[in-house]
Amino acid sequence: MKALEGLIVVLAMLIPFIAIKSYDMATYTYWTLISATYLCYIAVARW
Amino acid sequence: MNEFLYAFAAYAVIGTAIAVMAMKGVRTQEEYYIAGRKVSGLVSALTYAATTYSAFMMVGLVGLTYASGVGALGFELFYLVGTLFLLSYYAPRVWEIAREKGCITPGDMIAMRYGREVSMVMSIIVSVALIPYISVQLIGVSLILEKTSAMSFEVGIAISAILIALWALLGGLRGVAWTDAVQGVFMLFMAIAAVFWVYSYGFSDTSFFDEVPKLGDLLVVPNKIWTPVRFIALVVPWFFFALTNPQVFQRLYIPKDRGSLRRMVILFGFFGLVYTILVTFLGLELRVLTETGRFPVVSDRDAVTPTLLRLIPPWLAVAISISIFAAAITTANSIVLTLSSMLTRDLFGSERVAIGRVLLLILTVAISIFALQRPNYIVELAVLSSTILLCQLPLILGVFHFSRGGKVTGIATLTAGFTTAIVLSYTSASPLGIPASVWTLMVSFAVFFALSAFEKQQERSHSEDFQALG
Repeated sequence: MKALEGLIVVLAMLIPFIAIKSYDMATYTYWTLISATYLCYIAVARW
Repeated sequence: MNEFLYAFAAYAVIGTAIAVMAMKGVRTQEEYYIAGRKVSGLVSALTYAATTYSAFMMVGLVGLTYASGVGALGFELFYLVGTLFLLSYYAPRVWEIAREKGCITPGDMIAMRYGREVSMVMSIIVSVALIPYISVQLIGVSLILEKTSAMSFEVGIAISAILIALWALLGGLRGVAWTDAVQGVFMLFMAIAAVFWVYSYGFSDTSFFDEVPKLGDLLVVPNKIWTPVRFIALVVPWFFFALTNPQVFQRLYIPKDRGSLRRMVILFGFFGLVYTILVTFLGLELRVLTETGRFPVVSDRDAVTPTLLRLIPPWLAVAISISIFAAAITTANSIVLTLSSMLTRDLFGSERVAIGRVLLLILTVAISIFALQRPNYIVELAVLSSTILLCQLPLILGVFHFSRGGKVTGIATLTAGFTTAIVLSYTSASPLGIPASVWTLMVSFAVFFALSAFEKQQERSHSEDFQALG
């Protein structure tokens, strides 16, 4: 379960390398949202 | 630049006053090095953040984003999610074991599991890795002070060294944590101020979001700079930073209760996310302004922030310069204090605070001399530090997940990983196209698993205790 969570987070962070090719702030926004979502998950669900 | 000197004097006086207030009751190593395990969640979070986020953020990361685009954000946020992942699982276990077993240094945990000789070797390797890293911090901020005509390079190094040693000597970790907390908040506010000033300066008649497509390939990954191999090479050491860097690992011992530990992790995550977004956004803003002819072209990425400081109003330039200085000091004095604790307890086996204070002074002098000489290899060593520290990872994870292996396994793992990092970096080799950081991890784990298969633990009871607590 822990390894799966780690794998999901790493894969989610790697998506811009293969799937986001728009020349605007999409990659920047995507990475920010993924990190913020994971922080919320840690804050709410983990403890 | 009198404004800077007045502000700097105020900064030094306020910091020293805080450190003096933290002096009370510092008699044992537990009090001196981990503040008696009585630190609140908020202060723990701020000292964790201020220790982690060095002058690299407002100088190095702004410049890296300016030069290479959004890949810099990905690299830094990879570190953050890695840290959150590791802390959310391991921080409660580390905190509990440290409390149960009376651990003060990261090496204490390793010594109980693998033997004291392993923690001795670890303290030496960690010192080799981190002393150049701290020296580079001092060199960086002293060069900025020199470029902004605030003071000479040598005076900058001397004042930095005095503040690092003074605040750590006076209040130990409590002094460092309290000064870190104040400085951490200041660093965050100055990053906000810089972003807003640049926005009002450069985007009053146009929108940043309308102009940003001019950055082209800098807005996507991979690009010419952020190739997958380069990204992995940088991300791997930083992903495990929370476990491999002793100055942050030791901070897992300090929260006063489980609730404070939880607050520490969450508030640190919030601080890190906001600070990273601000700093990388600042780098993108400046690059857009360069593309539209409103900010000079800066070819040396480390010169981007100093160039900005020459453009902005003097009072703001002074405040931001102080925040960069604070970022370097908070990182440096935390590392020096942790190294002092590891050398005192793990290497020399002493329980005396006085020995730790003497070693802290010696370390600070050594770092200053290193910094003053500015040898060419020092930058390479500093960059190498996070890769070298990876050799500890199998041993740290082994504390929680693996019951075999002892002294021989521990020493061989550290030695093999350390040698791999040094050799590959010195020869600039990447066998099979794999970066040195990944090789260091692979060799360390291979040696750890191979030898632990043949070596039982010397004191099995410790392992069973760790597994039970874990």
